[in-house]
Amino acid sequence: MKLISLSMRNFMPFRGEQKVVFPTKPGQNVMVVLGNNMRGKTSLLNALRWGFYGIAKGRHLRDIPLHLLHNTDAGLDGDWEMEIAIQFEAEGFLYDLRRRAIKKKLVTIPGKPDDFEVTLQLQRDGMAMTGEQIEPEINRFIPKQVSRFFLFDGELLQEYESLLIEGSDQGKHIKEAIEQVLGVPALINGRTESGTLLKKARKQLSSELSHLKVAEKDLEKQREYQVKSDAYENDLQKLRDTLKKTKDDRALLDDQIEECESVYDAKQKLDEFERQRDRIIKEIERLNIDKLELVSNAWRDLLRPKILARREKLAAEQRRLMNQIQHRTSIENEAHQLRKILELSICPTCGQTVSQTRHDEVNSRLGALEIELQAKGGEQDSFSSISAEIDKLNKITTQEVGERIRDKDNQINRFEVELTKLENDIEKLRDEIKGHDTAEITRKRFIRDSLIKEQAKIETEVSTTQKQLETIKQELDIIARKLSNLPQARTARSSVLVDTYEGIEKAFSESIDSLRKNLREQVEERATEAFRMMTTQKAYSGLKINKNYGLSIIDEADRVIQVRSAGAEQVVALSLIDGLSRTGRSNGGPVVMDTPFGRLDLQHRDNILRYLPTTTSQLILLVHDGEISPKTDLAPIADRIGMTYIINESGPRHSVIERTAL
Amino acid sequence: MIIQEPNQIGIGEVAHVKLKKLHEDRHFAEMRDAYRFAIALALAHGVVPKDITGSRQNIYSVATVDPDQSLYTAIKALINTGDTPVYRWAERLADWGVIEMSKRADEGTLDIGQILKESETLSLE
Repeated sequence: MKLISLSMRNFMPFRGEQKVVFPTKPGQNVMVVLGNNMRGKTSLLNALRWGFYGIAKGRHLRDIPLHLLHNTDAGLDGDWEMEIAIQFEAEGFLYDLRRRAIKKKLVTIPGKPDDFEVTLQLQRDGMAMTGEQIEPEINRFIPKQVSRFFLFDGELLQEYESLLIEGSDQGKHIKEAIEQVLGVPALINGRTESGTLLKKARKQLSSELSHLKVAEKDLEKQREYQVKSDAYENDLQKLRDTLKKTKDDRALLDDQIEECESVYDAKQKLDEFERQRDRIIKEIERLNIDKLELVSNAWRDLLRPKILARREKLAAEQRRLMNQIQHRTSIENEAHQLRKILELSICPTCGQTVSQTRHDEVNSRLGALEIELQAKGGEQDSFSSISAEIDKLNKITTQEVGERIRDKDNQINRFEVELTKLENDIEKLRDEIKGHDTAEITRKRFIRDSLIKEQAKIETEVSTTQKQLETIKQELDIIARKLSNLPQARTARSSVLVDTYEGIEKAFSESIDSLRKNLREQVEERATEAFRMMTTQKAYSGLKINKNYGLSIIDEADRVIQVRSAGAEQVVALSLIDGLSRTGRSNGGPVVMDTPFGRLDLQHRDNILRYLPTTTSQLILLVHDGEISPKTDLAPIADRIGMTYIINESGPRHSVIERTAL
Repeated sequence: MIIQEPNQIGIGEVAHVKLKKLHEDRHFAEMRDAYRFAIALALAHGVVPKDITGSRQNIYSVATVDPDQSLYTAIKALINTGDTPVYRWAERLADWGVIEMSKRADEGTLDIGQILKESETLSLE
């Protein structure tokens, strides 16, 4: 089966009519579609999904409602028609598939999927097929169940990596999905059905044996266990329903929360910044109060230099007066001595009588000193007055607050700079969350957290109830066998049915185990084949599958490699998908990969690009320049690339896909 | 001659309005802090102020503004007040100082820390 062309009209970002032609030459079966994030690579993948199966997948592989697939700008222009047309060839026939959605006449602006009328047409070699023939015909070539293996995106790749974690919740779901694709559920349903019939037959046998005295006790016990078993089964079903609903609600909330994660982060940041801002405002306020307290005494500091200068002057004067006072004291002392000499006429030093000449000299000196003493006076008063003034001035100059005020100012300035920056950031964050109900986001996170706890609680209850139910079933089995071994039971009509259904149930159980084993072996073999081709580590001998379809890398000595790089995990996941794809489809059809090379190095990309085109009829790669450099990375398979497209942004909700060259 | 000092002290009407604004704009915790600082500023600048023009208003008792007579001492030490009571000089100095601070505040340059630093150079002049 090969894709020939895809035409899109008003589908997601592809406004108006846009067409992609696929490469069909056998040696050039690779198509590369380049496009940066948010341009429409996944929408292209969804165009194929919706065209073939009427579904489109969003984040976490959740279905996108029909009304959201229509291009918004086209709707604003009143164009409410959306169509995907896919041409493909299979088994020598040319097919033309068209899925169209048109707004219903009575609807003004579509707000739900039902507001659109969807039609599906399929022509084979120009002959229209009837409605009920279309889906089975599509599923013959590209089965919907397997579609996840050939229409897959990077997110799916991550999902598959979780298979490698034993016992992971997501791993269990993927295992179910894989078994669904590989046909195991048919056998599981068979076992369940035969189990139901066996239960019925045993009930009938019990009723036929009810008149027997010998079976009375066992029948009573059986009735009791049966009541219990029914009750536990009911409980289990209810618990499973609740668990499913809880998980669905949680997944929905996870998606919603993730969508507004950036808003939530911005709100958290805003709250933190506002707290910081309030702290800074308070700090500035405190510093201002401290500063104003210092300012109240600052006038003294302002006068300090002048007062000090004045005090210096006064101190000089004070020193001068002190000298004068000391000088006067010495004069007074000398005059006192001279007076004593004149009075006693005896020298106070040698005790001899003073001569007349000496007496006259002393008298003359005393006269001079008395004149000097009379000329001076008042120094003591001046000295006291200056000392008092100096004391008063000293009181004024005791404070020194200038340095402390400047220090407070510096601190305030620093905080104000910080405050301005914070206020700018707060403003930006406010703009970012404008129009979003942040309280609602917080509420959703709270509910999601409660659901996580609730989920864990229900899972424990499910496990406990399941164990109790199994114990009861074992008891019921023992009683049933005991009853059917009674001689009277052998003649009972229902006994034959019990034996038959027991046999069928056993056969189904064994078949399930055997089919699972075979499928796992097949997947392991094909995935190993793919892995050997894609890995760059030649010491690895292959892959080993576990019960969950998780794959481990094995070295030459058949030992499991415990630590694997992110790149190795991606190669293992790609190998698994290739193995599953080839196990689930008999004919290797086209494979579309969205962003498959995220964490791979050049050599791995090279190996993958060389290998995958050999196992598929067409390999369509949707890549962005962050994961692959078209000119250099695609060089090894340049001769296999039959077609290259680029998705360019034409407007916020409008992308254009065009042919380009590498 | 004994000079009678007033019990009340004030400022010119225009300066009074500006004094209130300096307080409202949180340059000073109390109006009297601004008043005292204004006197000191004028003294630091060696201003010989003229009489207050226009009407003058009593705003404080002397005991409130200068409880320990430090202002009195400072003015007396730095200015020859002659026959004029010291607190009348204080009013004139305050009037000049408030108007000067108000000018700086209007220009956004009223920085007490900076003024204190400037006063160190003023004393050398």
